[in-house]
Amino acid sequence: MFAFKKMAVLALLIPGLAFSAVDGVALLKKLDRNLEPESYESYRKLINIEPNGNKKEFVLYSVKKGKDKTASLFLQPASDKGRTTLRQGDNMWMYLPSVGKPLRITSLQSVTGGVFNNADIMRLDYAEEYDVASVDESDKLYTLQLKAKTGEVAYDKLTMTVDKKLILPIEIQAYASSGMLLKTLHFKDIKDFGGGIKRPATIETDSPLYKDYKSVMLYSGLKKREVADEVFTQSFMSRMEELRK
Amino acid sequence: MTPRPAGGAMPVRQRRHLACRMWLAGVLSAAALTSGLANAEEFSFDASEFDKKPFEFSGYIEPKLEGLRLRSDSAAFALAYPDAAPRDSLWRGTITLELAGKANLADWVLDARAQGSQANDALVTRTDNLRLMEGGVRYSAGPSLTLDAGKRVQRWGKGYALTTVGFVEIPKDPGDPTASREGFVMASGEFTRSLEGPVSAVSFTGLMLPTDGTTNAVFGKSTDLNPAAKLYLLAWDTDIDLMGRAAGARPAAFGLDFSRNIGSNLELHGEWARQRNVTRSTVSTTGVVSSSTRDTTSWLLGLRYLTSSEVTWIADWIHNGLGYSDSELGDYYRFLNLALAPGAPAEWVGKAVSLARSGYLRANPGLDYVYLKASVSEPLGWVYGAASVTWMANAQDRSWQLTPELSYTGFNGWDLRGRLSWLQGAQWSEFGEKATARKLELTARYSF
Repeated sequence: MFAFKKMAVLALLIPGLAFSAVDGVALLKKLDRNLEPESYESYRKLINIEPNGNKKEFVLYSVKKGKDKTASLFLQPASDKGRTTLRQGDNMWMYLPSVGKPLRITSLQSVTGGVFNNADIMRLDYAEEYDVASVDESDKLYTLQLKAKTGEVAYDKLTMTVDKKLILPIEIQAYASSGMLLKTLHFKDIKDFGGGIKRPATIETDSPLYKDYKSVMLYSGLKKREVADEVFTQSFMSRMEELRK
Repeated sequence: MTPRPAGGAMPVRQRRHLACRMWLAGVLSAAALTSGLANAEEFSFDASEFDKKPFEFSGYIEPKLEGLRLRSDSAAFALAYPDAAPRDSLWRGTITLELAGKANLADWVLDARAQGSQANDALVTRTDNLRLMEGGVRYSAGPSLTLDAGKRVQRWGKGYALTTVGFVEIPKDPGDPTASREGFVMASGEFTRSLEGPVSAVSFTGLMLPTDGTTNAVFGKSTDLNPAAKLYLLAWDTDIDLMGRAAGARPAAFGLDFSRNIGSNLELHGEWARQRNVTRSTVSTTGVVSSSTRDTTSWLLGLRYLTSSEVTWIADWIHNGLGYSDSELGDYYRFLNLALAPGAPAEWVGKAVSLARSGYLRANPGLDYVYLKASVSEPLGWVYGAASVTWMANAQDRSWQLTPELSYTGFNGWDLRGRLSWLQGAQWSEFGEKATARKLELTARYSF
C-alpha cells in the first residue's frame, strides 16, 4: 500500500517533471532551424492593410549568414527600390539611394511604416536574441516565455505558442518592458519550400497600437545559400542587387 | 471657388489660385487612382515575378509649387534679379524629371542617371535640359573588390545637413540634404575584408578625380589627377573613416569621422578635417579685398536620439574652418549694399559677384552652425505620415531658419511633401540678408 501511494504521488509529479525536463533553449534552437536554415536567401512581400481596405506592398530580397548577419534589399515599391538594410548583431544601418551612404538606425524605428519595424525585417534567430524564461507544455502545444538578452532587442518579452509536433510557432505576442502588448504575429499556411524547409509561408500581424490595421508577410524563394562575409558590410549595401540571380 | 467675372478674363491672382487648386486636385486624384488600382489585387506572391532583369529602367517626375515672400529691398534680391522691379511675393512652379537606367551584364554594370527641370515664375524662366548626374561602368570581382569609372557622387562624412570631410563631392544643400547631386568624373577602386575580432570590417577606397580645365571644372581648373582615399573600419561597434585628398586643383586635406550607437536609442557621430594652405578672401565695407593663405580646421559633433514617444532628435554643431565670422559676413553685406546702390562704381558689382562666387554666397558661408531636427513618423496614428521641424542657426550672428515639414507616402509610388521655411535675422546677418524671408513648398514625387 505504501509503495502504491509512492507510485501514485510519483505519477502525479510526472507531468511536472516532464515540464521541467523540456530544454527550452534546445527547443528554441530547433524552432529557429525549422523556420530557416542558418544561412539562406528569401523573398518576402509585406502588405500593410489599412482599416478602409487600402493596401501598401513592399517586396524585399534578404540574405542571412550565421548567427548575427542579415541584409535586405527593397525591390518594391518604386519609391523605395534600392533601399537596403544591414544588421551585424546589434549594429543596424540603412542605405537610401537618395542619401547615398549608410546611416546607423535603431531596431525600433520603422523602415516601411505600418505595423512592421526594423526588427521584424532584420530578425535574427530567436535563440540569439532571447533567453527562455519558462516553458509550459500541453497536449499539442508548448508555450515559451522569452526574455530579451539585451536592451538592444526591439521586444523585451515574447510569449511564443509552438506546435509541439512540428516545432514551429503558431502565435507570438510581443511585449514592451512596461508589459504593454505591442503586436501579435500569427503564423499560417505551412508550405514546403524544398531542400527540407517546411514552414509557415504567411505571417499576419496586428497591433493594439495600430487599431484595425493589419500587416501580412508572405514568403517565397526561401532556400539555403552561403554568401561571403563581405556581403554584410557597409561597402556592399549599394551593390546588394549583385547577389540576385 | 470665387465667381469668375462675367464677360472678362480672370484676374491674375484668381488664375494663380485656380492653378494651385487644380495642381493639388490633380496630384491627389492621380494618387488616389493609383492607390485604388492597387486595391484590386489579391494576396499572392511568387518570387519569380521579381527575377533580376538584364536591363532596368526607373525614375521619377516631381511637380513642385513654391510661394516665396521676398525681401525686395535686400542686396541679395538685387543680385539675384538685377533687372526686376521690387516685389514682395512670387509663385514658382517647377517640374523635375529624373530618368535612370541600368544594364546588368554578369560582373559588369553599366548605369546612368539623368535629370532635367523647368522652372517658371513671374521673373525668371529656367530650363535645365536633361543632363547626366551620375553614370559609368562598374566591375565587381566578388563582394570584396570593385572597380568603377564614370561620373560619381562620393558621399563622405556623418553630418546630416553639412559635412566637413566631403573632400571630393559637390556640397549637399543643407535645406534639402537628400536632394539629387551631380557627381564628378572619376575612377575608383574599393577593397573590403570582413574579419574576426573587435575590428570586424575594413574597407579601402582609392580614387582619382582628373581636372584639365574642362573635365570636373567645378572642382578645379588646373591639370591634376587629384587622388583621394578613404579607409573605413567597423571597430568595437563603431564606424570609423579616415580620409585624405592630395594637393592638386584643391589644397591637400585629411580628416576622420565616426558614428556609434551608445544605446538602442542614442547615436553619436563626429567629424574632424584639416585643410592645408587654403586661400581665403575677405572684403571690407569699402570694397578692399584681402587674401591670406592658411591651414584650416573644421569639425562636427552630433547625436541622434529616439525618445520614448518616438520623436527622433538630431543635433549637430558644425565649426566650418573655411567660413566667415559674423563681422566678416557683415562687412560683405554692407559692401554689397553699397556696390548695388545707384551711382556706385560699375566695377564694384563685378567685384561683389566674384566674391560671392568665391564663398560668401555659398549655402552656408558662416563659421559656426547649430542644426536641430525633431521628426516623428506616423504622428497621432497618421500611418505613412511624418512630421518634422528643422532649425538651423548661424551661431555667431544668431540668425536662423525654421522649417516645419509634413510628408506622406501612403499612396503607392507617391511621396507628398509640404514645408514652410521661415528665415529670420538682424540686418547684416546671414539669414537676415537672404532674398527670401518665407517659403512654402508643395512637392509631389511619383516614382516609377
